[in-house]
Amino acid sequence: MTKKLKLKIVTPERLILEEDVDQVTFPTTEGELTVLPGHIPLIAGLSSGDVVAFANGEHMPWAVAGGFVEVKKDEKGQTTVAVLADFAEHVSELSDEAIVKAKARAEELRKQMENTEHVDYEHFAAELERSLTRVRIADKWRSKKYRG
Amino acid sequence: MAGSKEIKRRIKSVKSTKKITKAMELVAASKMKRAVAATLASRTYAEYSWEVLVSISKGLDEITHPLFVKRPTKKTLLILITSNRGLCGAYNAQVIRKSLTFLKKRVHGENVDIMTVGKKGDVAMCRVGEKICSSFTDLPDNISLANMTPISKLALHEYSAGNYDKVLVAYTDFVSAMTQAPNIKQVLPISKTELKEFISGLEEIRDSENPEKKPNHLGNDKKTNYLIEGDQNKLLGSLAEKLVKMQIYQMLLESNASEQSSRMIAMKNASEAAGEMIDDLTLVFNKSRQASITQEISEISAGMASVS
Repeated sequence: MTKKLKLKIVTPERLILEEDVDQVTFPTTEGELTVLPGHIPLIAGLSSGDVVAFANGEHMPWAVAGGFVEVKKDEKGQTTVAVLADFAEHVSELSDEAIVKAKARAEELRKQMENTEHVDYEHFAAELERSLTRVRIADKWRSKKYRG
Repeated sequence: MAGSKEIKRRIKSVKSTKKITKAMELVAASKMKRAVAATLASRTYAEYSWEVLVSISKGLDEITHPLFVKRPTKKTLLILITSNRGLCGAYNAQVIRKSLTFLKKRVHGENVDIMTVGKKGDVAMCRVGEKICSSFTDLPDNISLANMTPISKLALHEYSAGNYDKVLVAYTDFVSAMTQAPNIKQVLPISKTELKEFISGLEEIRDSENPEKKPNHLGNDKKTNYLIEGDQNKLLGSLAEKLVKMQIYQMLLESNASEQSSRMIAMKNASEAAGEMIDDLTLVFNKSRQASITQEISEISAGMASVS
Protein backbone atom coordinates (compact mmCIF):
# COMPACT_ATOMS: atom_id res chain seq x y z
CA MET A 1 0.00 0.00 0.00
CA THR A 2 1.81 3.04 -1.18
CA LYS A 3 -1.17 5.14 -2.05
CA LYS A 4 -2.53 7.18 0.76
CA LEU A 5 -4.98 9.97 1.03
CA LYS A 6 -4.47 13.14 2.93
CA LEU A 7 -7.11 13.74 5.55
CA LYS A 8 -7.75 17.14 7.05
CA ILE A 9 -10.29 17.77 9.74
CA VAL A 10 -10.98 21.47 10.18
CA THR A 11 -13.33 23.32 12.47
CA PRO A 12 -13.81 27.09 12.51
CA GLU A 13 -11.70 27.21 15.63
CA ARG A 14 -8.73 25.13 14.64
CA LEU A 15 -7.16 22.53 12.43
CA ILE A 16 -7.87 19.29 14.26
CA LEU A 17 -5.90 16.86 12.15
CA GLU A 18 -3.75 16.65 9.08
CA GLU A 19 -2.51 13.16 8.34
CA ASP A 20 -2.01 10.59 5.63
CA VAL A 21 -4.44 7.71 6.00
CA ASP A 22 -5.51 4.67 3.99
CA GLN A 23 -9.22 5.29 3.96
CA VAL A 24 -11.83 7.39 5.63
CA THR A 25 -15.50 6.88 6.34
CA PHE A 26 -17.91 9.66 7.15
CA PRO A 27 -21.65 10.21 7.50
CA THR A 28 -23.08 12.40 4.76
CA THR A 29 -26.59 13.72 4.53
CA GLU A 30 -27.26 10.98 1.97
CA GLY A 31 -25.76 8.12 3.95
CA GLU A 32 -22.40 6.77 5.01
CA LEU A 33 -19.56 7.09 2.56
CA THR A 34 -16.07 5.62 2.46
CA VAL A 35 -13.36 7.30 0.47
CA LEU A 36 -10.28 5.46 -0.78
CA PRO A 37 -7.27 6.98 -2.54
CA GLY A 38 -8.13 7.92 -6.11
CA HIS A 39 -11.71 8.90 -5.38
CA ILE A 40 -13.24 11.38 -7.82
CA PRO A 41 -13.74 14.96 -6.62
CA LEU A 42 -16.80 15.17 -4.44
CA ILE A 43 -18.67 17.59 -2.26
CA ALA A 44 -21.17 16.41 0.28
CA GLY A 45 -22.95 17.69 3.33
CA LEU A 46 -21.89 16.15 6.61
CA SER A 47 -24.43 14.93 9.11
CA SER A 48 -23.70 14.17 12.72
CA GLY A 49 -21.90 10.94 13.52
CA ASP A 50 -18.37 9.67 13.42
CA VAL A 51 -15.57 10.22 10.95
CA VAL A 52 -13.40 7.13 11.01
CA ALA A 53 -9.97 7.17 9.46
CA PHE A 54 -8.15 3.92 8.86
CA ALA A 55 -4.37 3.97 8.88
CA ASN A 56 -1.77 1.28 9.54
CA GLY A 57 -4.43 -1.19 10.57
CA GLU A 58 -5.88 1.11 13.18
CA HIS A 59 -9.10 3.03 13.40
CA MET A 60 -9.16 6.68 14.38
CA PRO A 61 -12.64 7.88 15.20
CA TRP A 62 -13.86 11.46 15.67
CA ALA A 63 -17.29 12.57 16.69
CA VAL A 64 -18.48 15.31 14.34
CA ALA A 65 -21.64 17.31 13.82
CA GLY A 66 -22.64 19.26 10.76
CA GLY A 67 -20.51 20.65 7.98
CA PHE A 68 -19.07 19.62 4.64
CA VAL A 69 -16.74 17.17 3.05
CA GLU A 70 -14.63 18.02 0.07
CA VAL A 71 -12.68 15.38 -1.81
CA LYS A 72 -10.25 16.51 -4.49
CA LYS A 73 -6.86 15.86 -6.00
CA ASP A 74 -4.06 18.22 -5.11
CA GLU A 75 -1.25 19.32 -7.43
CA LYS A 76 0.71 16.11 -6.91
CA GLY A 77 -2.29 13.95 -7.68
CA GLN A 78 -2.79 12.88 -4.11
CA THR A 79 -6.38 12.58 -3.02
CA THR A 80 -7.19 15.09 -0.34
CA VAL A 81 -10.18 14.83 1.93
CA ALA A 82 -11.14 17.97 3.78
CA VAL A 83 -13.74 17.59 6.49
CA LEU A 84 -15.19 20.95 7.45
CA ALA A 85 -17.05 20.24 10.64
CA ASP A 86 -18.83 22.62 12.97
CA PHE A 87 -17.52 20.59 15.81
CA ALA A 88 -15.14 17.64 16.05
CA GLU A 89 -13.80 15.73 18.98
CA HIS A 90 -11.63 12.65 19.13
CA VAL A 91 -13.39 9.75 20.76
CA SER A 92 -10.72 9.46 23.44
CA GLU A 93 -11.54 13.03 24.42
CA LEU A 94 -15.02 11.87 25.20
CA SER A 95 -14.31 10.64 28.69
CA ASP A 96 -17.01 8.96 30.72
CA GLU A 97 -17.43 12.02 32.82
CA ALA A 98 -18.01 14.19 29.81
CA ILE A 99 -20.52 11.70 28.50
CA VAL A 100 -22.54 11.75 31.67
CA LYS A 101 -22.50 15.51 31.43
CA ALA A 102 -23.50 15.43 27.79
CA LYS A 103 -26.39 13.11 28.61
CA ALA A 104 -27.59 15.36 31.38
CA ARG A 105 -27.25 18.34 29.11
CA ALA A 106 -29.22 16.66 26.37
CA GLU A 107 -32.03 15.89 28.80
CA GLU A 108 -32.02 19.43 30.06
CA LEU A 109 -32.05 20.88 26.59
CA ARG A 110 -34.90 18.66 25.55
CA LYS A 111 -36.92 19.87 28.50
CA GLN A 112 -36.13 23.46 27.69
CA MET A 113 -37.26 22.94 24.14
CA GLU A 114 -40.58 21.62 25.33
CA ASN A 115 -41.19 24.25 27.94
CA THR A 116 -40.53 27.42 26.08
CA GLU A 117 -42.59 27.99 23.00
CA HIS A 118 -40.44 30.46 21.22
CA VAL A 119 -36.81 30.51 22.15
CA ASP A 120 -33.84 30.10 19.99
CA TYR A 121 -35.01 26.75 18.78
CA GLU A 122 -32.20 26.23 16.34
CA HIS A 123 -29.56 26.96 18.90
CA PHE A 124 -30.95 24.38 21.26
CA ALA A 125 -31.42 21.91 18.46
CA ALA A 126 -27.75 22.25 17.51
CA GLU A 127 -26.66 21.87 21.10
CA LEU A 128 -28.87 18.86 21.57
CA GLU A 129 -27.56 17.31 18.40
CA ARG A 130 -24.02 17.72 19.64
CA SER A 131 -24.72 16.24 23.02
CA LEU A 132 -26.53 13.30 21.52
CA THR A 133 -23.78 12.72 18.99
CA ARG A 134 -21.20 12.68 21.75
CA VAL A 135 -23.15 10.09 23.67
CA ARG A 136 -23.92 7.95 20.66
CA ILE A 137 -20.38 7.89 19.31
CA ALA A 138 -18.82 7.27 22.67
CA ASP A 139 -21.14 4.33 23.25
CA LYS A 140 -20.35 2.95 19.86
CA TRP A 141 -16.59 3.01 20.36
CA ARG A 142 -16.53 1.96 23.95
CA SER A 143 -15.90 -1.71 23.27
CA LYS A 144 -13.90 -1.31 20.06
CA LYS A 145 -10.25 -0.76 19.66
CA TYR A 146 -8.92 2.46 18.23
CA ARG A 147 -5.81 4.57 18.14
CA GLY A 148 -5.81 7.31 20.69
CA MET B 1 11.62 74.62 45.32
CA ALA B 2 9.14 72.02 46.43
CA GLY B 3 9.86 70.16 49.60
CA SER B 4 11.91 67.03 49.13
CA LYS B 5 9.32 65.00 50.98
CA GLU B 6 6.69 66.04 48.46
CA ILE B 7 8.88 65.04 45.54
CA LYS B 8 9.69 61.71 47.13
CA ARG B 9 6.01 60.98 47.42
CA ARG B 10 5.41 61.81 43.80
CA ILE B 11 8.26 59.57 42.67
CA LYS B 12 6.77 56.74 44.64
CA SER B 13 3.34 57.17 43.12
CA VAL B 14 4.70 57.36 39.57
CA LYS B 15 6.72 54.22 40.24
CA SER B 16 3.67 52.25 41.29
CA THR B 17 1.77 53.52 38.26
CA LYS B 18 4.59 52.33 36.07
CA LYS B 19 4.41 48.91 37.64
CA ILE B 20 0.72 48.68 36.80
CA THR B 21 1.12 49.84 33.21
CA LYS B 22 4.00 47.46 32.73
CA ALA B 23 1.91 44.57 34.01
CA MET B 24 -0.97 45.55 31.74
CA GLU B 25 1.41 45.70 28.83
CA LEU B 26 2.62 42.17 29.44
CA VAL B 27 -0.91 40.84 29.89
CA ALA B 28 -2.03 42.52 26.66
CA ALA B 29 0.99 41.12 24.83
CA SER B 30 0.22 37.55 25.82
CA LYS B 31 -3.47 37.99 25.07
CA MET B 32 -2.60 39.42 21.70
CA LYS B 33 -0.50 36.39 20.87
CA ARG B 34 -3.40 34.15 21.71
CA ALA B 35 -5.83 36.25 19.69
CA VAL B 36 -3.56 36.23 16.65
CA ALA B 37 -3.13 32.47 16.95
CA ALA B 38 -6.90 32.04 17.05
CA THR B 39 -7.27 34.22 13.98
CA LEU B 40 -4.76 32.11 12.10
CA ALA B 41 -6.26 28.84 13.32
CA SER B 42 -9.68 29.61 11.91
CA ARG B 43 -8.20 30.71 8.61
CA THR B 44 -7.91 27.16 7.23
CA TYR B 45 -11.62 26.70 7.62
CA ALA B 46 -12.27 29.99 5.88
CA GLU B 47 -10.15 29.01 2.92
CA TYR B 48 -11.76 25.61 2.54
CA SER B 49 -15.27 26.89 2.83
CA TRP B 50 -14.45 29.45 0.16
CA GLU B 51 -13.17 26.69 -2.08
CA VAL B 52 -16.30 24.66 -1.57
CA LEU B 53 -18.44 27.67 -2.31
CA VAL B 54 -16.61 28.32 -5.56
CA SER B 55 -16.92 24.70 -6.60
CA ILE B 56 -20.62 24.51 -5.86
CA SER B 57 -21.51 27.80 -7.44
CA LYS B 58 -19.65 26.87 -10.60
CA GLY B 59 -22.18 24.12 -11.18
CA LEU B 60 -25.07 26.56 -10.93
CA ASP B 61 -25.94 29.12 -13.59
CA GLU B 62 -27.11 31.69 -11.13
CA ILE B 63 -27.14 31.78 -7.39
CA THR B 64 -30.70 32.27 -6.34
CA HIS B 65 -30.30 31.59 -2.68
CA PRO B 66 -31.77 34.49 -0.65
CA LEU B 67 -28.51 35.06 1.21
CA PHE B 68 -26.80 35.89 -2.07
CA VAL B 69 -29.48 37.97 -3.73
CA LYS B 70 -29.29 41.74 -3.44
CA ARG B 71 -32.50 43.53 -2.66
CA PRO B 72 -33.38 47.22 -2.55
CA THR B 73 -32.02 48.59 0.69
CA LYS B 74 -34.63 49.97 3.00
CA LYS B 75 -33.12 49.07 6.30
CA THR B 76 -29.55 48.35 7.21
CA LEU B 77 -28.07 46.65 10.23
CA LEU B 78 -24.64 47.79 11.35
CA ILE B 79 -22.75 45.55 13.73
CA LEU B 80 -20.20 47.62 15.60
CA ILE B 81 -17.41 45.69 17.25
CA THR B 82 -15.64 47.51 20.07
CA SER B 83 -14.04 46.55 23.34
CA ASN B 84 -15.56 46.34 26.78
CA ARG B 85 -12.75 48.19 28.46
CA GLY B 86 -10.76 51.30 27.79
CA LEU B 87 -7.06 52.03 28.14
CA CYS B 88 -6.34 50.77 24.68
CA GLY B 89 -5.25 53.84 22.80
CA ALA B 90 -7.30 54.98 19.85
CA TYR B 91 -8.73 51.52 19.18
CA ASN B 92 -12.34 52.28 20.07
CA ALA B 93 -12.24 55.89 18.91
CA GLN B 94 -11.08 54.86 15.45
CA VAL B 95 -13.75 52.31 14.73
CA ILE B 96 -16.48 54.50 16.24
CA ARG B 97 -15.39 57.48 14.17
CA LYS B 98 -15.42 55.32 11.07
CA SER B 99 -18.96 54.17 11.73
CA LEU B 100 -20.09 57.71 12.56
CA THR B 101 -18.84 59.00 9.23
CA PHE B 102 -20.63 56.10 7.61
CA LEU B 103 -23.83 57.02 9.44
CA LYS B 104 -23.52 60.64 8.37
CA LYS B 105 -23.05 59.72 4.76
CA ARG B 106 -26.22 57.68 4.49
CA VAL B 107 -28.92 58.90 2.21
CA HIS B 108 -31.69 60.79 3.89
CA GLY B 109 -34.40 58.46 5.02
CA GLU B 110 -32.23 55.40 4.95
CA ASN B 111 -32.80 53.47 8.08
CA VAL B 112 -29.82 52.13 9.97
CA ASP B 113 -30.09 50.13 13.14
CA ILE B 114 -27.06 49.32 15.18
CA MET B 115 -26.05 46.19 16.97
CA THR B 116 -23.17 46.78 19.31
CA VAL B 117 -20.62 44.31 20.53
CA GLY B 118 -18.71 45.74 23.48
CA LYS B 119 -19.63 48.42 25.98
CA LYS B 120 -17.64 51.22 24.43
CA GLY B 121 -19.57 51.18 21.20
CA ASP B 122 -22.79 50.99 23.15
CA VAL B 123 -21.98 54.15 25.08
CA ALA B 124 -20.82 56.04 22.01
CA MET B 125 -23.90 55.19 19.97
CA CYS B 126 -26.20 56.12 22.83
CA ARG B 127 -24.50 59.49 23.01
CA VAL B 128 -25.16 60.35 19.38
CA GLY B 129 -28.68 59.04 19.70
CA GLU B 130 -28.58 56.22 17.18
CA LYS B 131 -31.02 53.37 17.40
CA ILE B 132 -29.46 50.35 19.01
CA CYS B 133 -31.42 47.19 18.42
CA SER B 134 -29.31 44.88 20.51
CA SER B 135 -26.02 44.88 22.31
CA PHE B 136 -23.67 42.11 23.32
CA THR B 137 -21.36 43.08 26.13
CA ASP B 138 -20.35 39.88 27.81
CA LEU B 139 -17.96 38.31 25.36
CA PRO B 140 -14.85 36.85 26.98
CA ASP B 141 -11.33 37.75 25.91
CA ASN B 142 -10.74 34.54 24.05
CA ILE B 143 -13.85 34.26 21.97
CA SER B 144 -15.00 30.79 21.08
CA LEU B 145 -17.45 29.95 18.37
CA ALA B 146 -20.15 29.24 20.92
CA ASN B 147 -19.82 32.76 22.30
CA MET B 148 -20.52 34.42 19.02
CA THR B 149 -23.24 32.13 17.73
CA PRO B 150 -26.04 34.39 19.05
CA ILE B 151 -24.63 37.34 17.11
CA SER B 152 -24.48 35.61 13.76
CA LYS B 153 -27.75 33.85 14.38
CA LEU B 154 -29.51 37.09 15.12
CA ALA B 155 -28.04 38.73 12.03
CA LEU B 156 -29.00 35.81 9.80
CA HIS B 157 -32.43 35.54 11.28
CA GLU B 158 -33.22 39.24 10.94
CA TYR B 159 -31.91 39.24 7.41
CA SER B 160 -33.91 36.21 6.31
CA ALA B 161 -37.01 37.57 7.99
CA GLY B 162 -36.66 40.66 5.83
CA ASN B 163 -36.27 43.09 8.72
CA TYR B 164 -33.01 44.25 7.24
CA ASP B 165 -31.88 44.26 3.65
CA LYS B 166 -28.20 44.63 4.31
CA VAL B 167 -25.90 43.69 7.17
CA LEU B 168 -22.61 45.52 7.65
CA VAL B 169 -19.91 44.99 10.21
CA ALA B 170 -17.64 47.73 11.53
CA TYR B 171 -14.54 46.10 12.91
CA THR B 172 -10.83 46.69 13.26
CA ASP B 173 -8.54 45.01 10.80
CA PHE B 174 -5.42 43.59 12.40
CA VAL B 175 -2.68 44.55 9.96
CA SER B 176 0.24 44.08 12.32
CA ALA B 177 1.04 44.59 15.97
CA MET B 178 1.77 48.24 15.22
CA THR B 179 -1.04 49.08 12.84
CA GLN B 180 -4.73 48.40 12.96
CA ALA B 181 -7.21 49.77 10.50
CA PRO B 182 -10.91 50.32 11.17
CA ASN B 183 -13.05 48.86 8.45
CA ILE B 184 -16.67 48.45 7.40
CA LYS B 185 -17.59 45.35 5.45
CA GLN B 186 -20.78 43.95 4.10
CA VAL B 187 -21.56 40.41 5.21
CA LEU B 188 -25.10 40.07 3.95
CA PRO B 189 -26.13 39.65 1.20
CA ILE B 190 -23.00 37.69 0.43
CA SER B 191 -21.14 39.17 -2.48
CA LYS B 192 -18.53 36.88 -3.89
CA THR B 193 -16.04 39.61 -4.65
CA GLU B 194 -16.12 40.99 -1.13
CA LEU B 195 -15.77 37.56 0.34
CA LYS B 196 -12.84 36.79 -1.85
CA GLU B 197 -11.20 40.03 -0.79
CA PHE B 198 -11.80 39.18 2.83
CA ILE B 199 -10.29 35.74 2.60
CA SER B 200 -7.28 36.88 0.62
CA GLY B 201 -6.86 39.53 3.32
CA LEU B 202 -6.50 36.68 5.76
CA GLU B 203 -3.84 35.15 3.60
CA GLU B 204 -1.83 38.32 3.91
CA ILE B 205 -1.66 38.03 7.67
CA ARG B 206 -0.37 34.53 7.37
CA ASP B 207 2.12 35.54 4.72
CA SER B 208 3.52 38.24 6.94
CA GLU B 209 3.81 35.71 9.73
CA ASN B 210 5.70 33.08 7.78
CA PRO B 211 6.54 34.34 4.32
CA GLU B 212 8.21 31.15 3.13
CA LYS B 213 4.91 29.28 2.83
CA LYS B 214 2.72 30.63 0.11
CA PRO B 215 0.26 28.18 -1.36
CA ASN B 216 -2.18 30.49 -3.02
CA HIS B 217 -5.14 28.38 -3.97
CA LEU B 218 -7.51 31.28 -4.26
CA GLY B 219 -6.12 32.37 -7.56
CA ASN B 220 -6.35 29.13 -9.42
CA ASP B 221 -9.85 28.66 -10.68
CA LYS B 222 -8.88 25.33 -12.06
CA LYS B 223 -11.84 23.49 -13.40
CA THR B 224 -12.45 20.43 -11.33
CA ASN B 225 -15.79 18.84 -11.80
CA TYR B 226 -17.12 17.84 -8.48
CA LEU B 227 -19.65 15.18 -7.88
CA ILE B 228 -22.11 16.85 -5.59
CA GLU B 229 -24.11 14.72 -3.22
CA GLY B 230 -27.45 16.01 -2.12
CA ASP B 231 -29.34 19.07 -3.19
CA GLN B 232 -27.03 21.80 -4.45
CA ASN B 233 -29.21 24.63 -3.30
CA LYS B 234 -29.59 23.16 0.14
CA LEU B 235 -25.85 22.68 0.43
CA LEU B 236 -25.29 26.19 -0.81
CA GLY B 237 -27.69 27.55 1.76
CA SER B 238 -26.06 25.90 4.71
CA LEU B 239 -22.66 26.80 3.34
CA ALA B 240 -23.73 30.42 3.05
CA GLU B 241 -24.85 30.48 6.64
CA LYS B 242 -21.57 29.00 7.74
CA LEU B 243 -19.65 31.51 5.69
CA VAL B 244 -21.46 34.41 7.32
CA LYS B 245 -20.87 32.95 10.73
CA MET B 246 -17.24 32.31 9.96
CA GLN B 247 -16.80 35.84 8.65
CA ILE B 248 -18.28 37.48 11.71
CA TYR B 249 -16.24 35.18 13.92
CA GLN B 250 -13.10 36.11 12.06
CA MET B 251 -13.92 39.80 12.38
CA LEU B 252 -14.43 39.42 16.10
CA LEU B 253 -11.11 37.67 16.40
CA GLU B 254 -9.35 40.36 14.40
CA SER B 255 -10.93 43.08 16.47
CA ASN B 256 -9.86 41.28 19.59
CA ALA B 257 -6.29 40.99 18.36
CA SER B 258 -6.32 44.67 17.43
CA GLU B 259 -7.66 45.65 20.81
CA GLN B 260 -4.99 43.75 22.64
CA SER B 261 -2.19 45.02 20.47
CA SER B 262 -3.29 48.64 20.71
CA ARG B 263 -3.62 48.23 24.43
CA MET B 264 -0.13 46.81 24.52
CA ILE B 265 1.24 49.80 22.61
CA ALA B 266 -0.68 52.27 24.76
CA MET B 267 0.61 50.69 27.93
CA LYS B 268 4.11 50.55 26.56
CA ASN B 269 3.99 54.27 25.90
CA ALA B 270 2.59 54.87 29.35
CA SER B 271 5.40 52.87 30.98
CA GLU B 272 7.99 54.80 29.01
CA ALA B 273 6.43 58.12 29.96
CA ALA B 274 6.39 57.05 33.60
CA GLY B 275 10.08 56.15 33.36
CA GLU B 276 10.91 59.58 31.99
CA MET B 277 8.88 61.24 34.68
CA ILE B 278 10.70 59.29 37.36
CA ASP B 279 14.04 60.41 35.92
CA ASP B 280 12.97 64.05 35.89
CA LEU B 281 11.60 63.91 39.41
CA THR B 282 14.71 62.19 40.71
CA LEU B 283 16.79 65.00 39.24
CA VAL B 284 14.62 67.63 40.94
CA PHE B 285 14.78 65.68 44.16
CA ASN B 286 18.58 65.47 44.10
CA LYS B 287 18.86 69.14 43.29
CA SER B 288 16.67 70.14 46.20
CA ARG B 289 18.57 67.78 48.51
CA GLN B 290 21.87 69.28 47.41
CA ALA B 291 20.50 72.80 47.85
CA SER B 292 19.39 72.11 51.38
CA ILE B 293 22.79 70.59 52.26
CA THR B 294 24.61 73.57 50.81
CA GLN B 295 22.36 75.87 52.73
CA GLU B 296 22.98 74.00 55.98
CA ILE B 297 26.76 74.08 55.49
CA SER B 298 26.77 77.78 54.78
CA GLU B 299 24.61 78.37 57.84
CA ILE B 300 26.97 76.34 60.04
CA SER B 301 30.06 78.06 58.71
CA ALA B 302 28.40 81.45 59.14
CA GLY B 303 27.64 80.55 62.75
CA MET B 304 31.23 79.40 63.28
CA ALA B 305 32.54 82.67 61.89
CA SER B 306 30.35 84.75 64.20
CA VAL B 307 31.43 82.73 67.28
CA SER B 308 35.16 82.95 66.67
